[in-house]
Amino acid sequence: MADELTTILTSFGIPNEAFLAIIVVVLLVIGAVVVIIVSRPVLDIYPYLLPNAKVRARKGRLFDEKQFSEILEAEDYKEITNYLRGFLDHAKHLDDHSIEKSLDIQLGETYHLLSKIAPSDVKKVFVVLSKKSDISNIKSLIASKEAKLTKDEAENLLIPVGSLYLTCEQLIETNTIEDIVAGLDGTEYAPILEDALSEYKENNMILPLESALDKYFLENLLSASSVPSDDNTRILHSYIGSQVDVANLKTIIRSKADGLKYDDISAHVISNGYQVKEWKLKDLMESESITSIVNGLEGTDYSPILSEALGAYNDTESVSVFEKALDEYIVNYANSLSLKNPLGIGPIIGYISKKEREIKNLKIIIRAKRENNLEMSDIQEMLV
Amino acid sequence: MVEIALGTALAAIGAGVAIGFAGLGSGLGQGIAAAGSVGAVAEDNDMFARGIIFTALPETQAIYGFLIAILLLVFSGLLGGGKGLDVTAGLVAVGVGASIGFAGLGSGMGQGIAAASSVGAVVEDNDMFARGIIFTALPETQAIYGFLIAILLMVFGGILG
Repeated sequence: MADELTTILTSFGIPNEAFLAIIVVVLLVIGAVVVIIVSRPVLDIYPYLLPNAKVRARKGRLFDEKQFSEILEAEDYKEITNYLRGFLDHAKHLDDHSIEKSLDIQLGETYHLLSKIAPSDVKKVFVVLSKKSDISNIKSLIASKEAKLTKDEAENLLIPVGSLYLTCEQLIETNTIEDIVAGLDGTEYAPILEDALSEYKENNMILPLESALDKYFLENLLSASSVPSDDNTRILHSYIGSQVDVANLKTIIRSKADGLKYDDISAHVISNGYQVKEWKLKDLMESESITSIVNGLEGTDYSPILSEALGAYNDTESVSVFEKALDEYIVNYANSLSLKNPLGIGPIIGYISKKEREIKNLKIIIRAKRENNLEMSDIQEMLV
Repeated sequence: MVEIALGTALAAIGAGVAIGFAGLGSGLGQGIAAAGSVGAVAEDNDMFARGIIFTALPETQAIYGFLIAILLLVFSGLLGGGKGLDVTAGLVAVGVGASIGFAGLGSGMGQGIAAASSVGAVVEDNDMFARGIIFTALPETQAIYGFLIAILLMVFGGILG
């Protein structure tokens, strides 16, 4: 065969060296094509490897069902505090702060961590999310001024996390809510609060200020995730979008239960959602009753869960049944999203959702043990 | 300049392909596994040993490629000793290199991704270690197929023996 090959090469006038060169070039081309093809998935996966390992380690430290049962069985909230001291993540702030405040600090630190470690294509969303602590501090500051709390009481409400903590701490000394808004001049929140200030002055209620901050936060969150370019950003957008939908639905349902009209509600609703778009939101806000809101959601994921909760609402006339159903929907939806892209954004969404749920449930249990001394089964009913 | 037969030169290309692509796959795989392990160790110091085990698994593809490359270099006469290969055997040697090279590339990458995922699962739940190792070991089979075919090609293609 060698002779035949040599003959063929010679008949084409190809010397041995040229034949070798051709083989080398062919292999190089094949190699380049293979490298380009295989490098694409690697480039998609690579930025998520380190953040995912970190969040999965933290997810492994979250309380499981058995531990939650042990917490539920505690006699009072002091026993819960002692129980939490046995876990490093919970223990580190318990010496300096109350149990609720230490939970808020933990959540704020979680958002801050994610904003630091998130890959660049989704970082913007987590940076916006980390501002939740700033917004919470501003709201606490305004509420403390409204309730005329002492300096120590107001300071106790602030969470020592976020870029505005020190500013908020200084603003405790101010006399009025107008002074707080003036003190925030230069921050992104000043124009938002200034716009809502007139409504506050008219009604002497801080709700418009709080609502303006919440709306600004959710709008920013939605716009940060609004240009999905790949699977990861698409999944994140659907998660954030669902949260915005749920926030809008809660506002509309609660407002309708209070008998408010379209003009009263529309200022507090984020103008565009994920499944519930602008035109649908308008329809819902114009609905005459809660039943027609639930019927109007047909075709969305929210329709079956709210329809199921409608019976309980008719019995209790409490909108909390809808809020609980929507909260549970978000937890289940986040759980399904976390399994969709295990080498991408999935574990981050899974962790953040589970961490928020853990903190929320711990707060429910602590409040119930401290204030109401409810039965264990009643507390279990309240958990998400 | 040393005179090298065309067949021997082709075997040299085969050796380069063998270690080059197998090493590429192994390197990418180990890089992926190491990135996941570093994140795990940063959160939990006890993960160091298990992280090293998962990171070491995609090393095998490079070892297979290295072994095949050495065999090709020795039996083609490039490292002294035997006589040079004819063109036919040289072409077989290119096939030998491609066999372990490309199989090692896919296997190494796959194993690295599985290893990184397993490290994440183990750091979340310690009991996942054994199952993680089993899942991570599965993509090894492609490299073994490539390695076996490379050996068979060398034996029956007139390079070995």
